[in-house]
Amino acid sequence: MTAGEFTEFDRDVRLHVFRRAADTGVVPQLQEIAAVLGHAPDAVEASLRRLADARLLVLAPGSTAIWMAPPFSAVPTDFTVTSRGRTYFGNCIWDALGIPALLDADGLVETACADCGAPQALEVRAGAVRSGGIVHFSVPAARWWVNIGFT
Amino acid sequence: MLLFRSEEHIDRWCARRALPRGATMTPEQTWRLARAWYAGKLEAGWRRKTGDEAEAVFAEIGLTGAFWALR
Repeated sequence: MTAGEFTEFDRDVRLHVFRRAADTGVVPQLQEIAAVLGHAPDAVEASLRRLADARLLVLAPGSTAIWMAPPFSAVPTDFTVTSRGRTYFGNCIWDALGIPALLDADGLVETACADCGAPQALEVRAGAVRSGGIVHFSVPAARWWVNIGFT
Repeated sequence: MLLFRSEEHIDRWCARRALPRGATMTPEQTWRLARAWYAGKLEAGWRRKTGDEAEAVFAEIGLTGAFWALR
């Protein structure tokens, strides 16, 4: 789906999901979105599916629950982000840094070395990041969406 | 996309899972990628990057070669 195929309603749903996640640290789900936007859950479900087809959201397999609204994760992960006094979860180290980037704010990413589990922290302050370590991408870019959960 | 303490830890992680090594980048490059990717996403006019735009972002950050090709 191209951007031109979205309805105004899809744009409203997308904005609500991302702004709510940014404001609260919690990714909203279908019933809450329907209640806030004043639309029937069926209409919101169809919109979520269109947004997922366009890779703007990731739904949990076999359900209409939002799993990822990148960079936000709806479920706890190993990438905890503290920014603007709230706690968020990123889907991966890229997304974890994406949260202060999206918020245009300082932030602290807490994670662990994926190999040995040693705690690792990345501090974003005044538009720069301070961290040790090295980031590894297993999956080539062209295949990220083959299995986005693994990517 | 995971963070490791060092290259040695990446090698160990890949070997344990029988996975080939992928691509690496510094946290600073990852931060630049995050900013290029996600800044402005709360705005009504935001849209997903096209493949060409995404490849241009990768190149600007020094991520080039087959691993970063989208076509």
